[in-house]
Amino acid sequence: MDADNVIETHGARKVFRDFWRRPVVEAVKGLDLTVRRGEVYGLLGPNGSGKSTTIKMLLGLLRPTSGTLCVFGAPPSDTQAKSRIGYLPEVSHLHPFLTPRETLMYYASLFGLGREDARRRTEELLKMVDLDHAADRAVGRFSKGMARRVGLAQALVNAPELLILDEPTSGLDPIGCREVKDLVRLLAKDGVSVLMTSHLLADVEDVCDRVAIMDRGELRAEGRIGELLRQPDAVRFLVAGLDEQAVAALRGTIESRVGHPVQQDYPSMSLEAYFLQVVASDGRLRAFEVAPFLKRQENAGAETRHA
Amino acid sequence: MALALRQLCAIALATWVEAIQQPVALLVQLTAVVMTLLVPVFQLHRFGEEGRLARDSGLSCMLVFGLVLAAGTAGRSVADEIARGTASAAIGKPVARATFLCAKWLGVFGVVAVFWSAVLAATLLSERCSAHFVVQEDFAGYATDPRTLALSLAGVAVGLLVAAARHFFWRRRFGVTAFLGVALSQILVSVLSGFYNRFGQFFAARGESACGCGGEHLHALLDWHPGLNGRVVAAAVLVLLALAVFAALATALATRLQTGAALAVCALALLLGLAGDTFAVNASVLSARGVAAGLLPDVQHFWMCDALANGGRIAWSYVGAVSAYAVTCCAIFLTAGCLSFRGRDLG
Repeated sequence: MDADNVIETHGARKVFRDFWRRPVVEAVKGLDLTVRRGEVYGLLGPNGSGKSTTIKMLLGLLRPTSGTLCVFGAPPSDTQAKSRIGYLPEVSHLHPFLTPRETLMYYASLFGLGREDARRRTEELLKMVDLDHAADRAVGRFSKGMARRVGLAQALVNAPELLILDEPTSGLDPIGCREVKDLVRLLAKDGVSVLMTSHLLADVEDVCDRVAIMDRGELRAEGRIGELLRQPDAVRFLVAGLDEQAVAALRGTIESRVGHPVQQDYPSMSLEAYFLQVVASDGRLRAFEVAPFLKRQENAGAETRHA
Repeated sequence: MALALRQLCAIALATWVEAIQQPVALLVQLTAVVMTLLVPVFQLHRFGEEGRLARDSGLSCMLVFGLVLAAGTAGRSVADEIARGTASAAIGKPVARATFLCAKWLGVFGVVAVFWSAVLAATLLSERCSAHFVVQEDFAGYATDPRTLALSLAGVAVGLLVAAARHFFWRRRFGVTAFLGVALSQILVSVLSGFYNRFGQFFAARGESACGCGGEHLHALLDWHPGLNGRVVAAAVLVLLALAVFAALATALATRLQTGAALAVCALALLLGLAGDTFAVNASVLSARGVAAGLLPDVQHFWMCDALANGGRIAWSYVGAVSAYAVTCCAIFLTAGCLSFRGRDLG
């Protein structure tokens, strides 16, 4: 395995079987995938395309029928490798009777963090995901969005080097989505590798360096977003402050050059940007701050590994 | 090793808190305790020995309700967590599957241990409250102990009220406080009942001991003579060991079966285990009956209720030997559970 790769799969295949061991469905068909250190990798695909199955195989929750999967050069069941991973499942699987504070302390103890260190990280994470006001309420009574925030916090409790996010923005309001995307960008800047799946293509487009598109268990396309989406025979100019006369002159020049009419429009902001602008006027959009212990990625990661 | 131990404790504690919160756990405990306490009220026959019905009923409640609690809790904390995804959330962390499963058993056993202590205290109190033949200066005849019975039932109510108050005023968990509160109330009443005789007279004031030996205790401010049958404790410890074995069996089964199915298999194992010496008599080792007898835990080892009849005692050396048997059974079931869980896909 290349030392620069955090995830490598070769011919990974998963067949689900029934009680009598008869094959029911082949969820993943010979997947070859590589995620490099420090990149944000998006796994896209319609429902049932095998994205979550791939993630679960990478975490050692599902056993591949054939093929090999390596995470940090080790098989997925290796606990040393797992101690460097943060995982946010598609549905936030939380103990309903525990509070967010207890939940984070519980997950911190699974990584072997000392009580004081666990407590400090818990408080920092609760503040980061904006749940410090609800830290002592049972998570079973939380809305889906709030539970998602707890799920996100638990995925970061070990200051992971590889973050696996399965539908991270599912159930979150636009503010939460924006915060998650900000977080992914900030963590990637700090050298954290991210593998994420999402149905919301705009989210993936906003944060991912490379994407792969899966369909019916097969990899259909893979590459850098810019390369995949480029239309080589089209050009777009975005200019501010032109009057009508200048626009008409420019249009005439271009049309005479290409020999056919050109499309002209006035760009509007996205609905998400407009929504956030409206909400920001109420002061609800806070400046997103990554938990301090996550900023010291190198130290925190080493600390966890030695614990 | 230290990390595995820390993970074991963390998962076991979370399992314990989660399980103890379940309304069904409190319901099972309340039913067992109240049923045990009410035996002296509805007792119509002595079965040849004072307090025997209360004692046997208490130990039966301990075994049957304990089995339901152990199998139900194991099912909920393993099978339901696998279905709900909380198991995969933990296994997705650097937690070995064997550590996870053993911690689950430990958490389940913790819940069973609290239940056991509540029912043991209730059994001791129930036996004391049953009609006993008493001879004193001013009285000779059968006497019950309504004060202790009332105190015990009031203890249950107080346990629930305290839990409700803590929940209302301080937002503390009702389930945890109630479950622990009921157990603690019965233990407290057991201790308190040692200060007075079955007529409600304090020993220090009256100057007599509970055993009626006529010793003078006037100089003592408070004299304590537990009028409880300590011989029951050894039989109860054996039942606790049986519950530990069934908790291990249920935990192992829950890696593949749903809660109801695991409970049904445990109930069947209990029945066959109790009848083991009957259906396995003269069975050759290689016959189906012999193999079944070898595989099933011999519950007869754990059910020594009759040994207490007419002042009988269970030797602690026997309890030690049965403990070794129980540990072996637990180890076998948990190993089988770990092997089964190792190959299980967690979707």
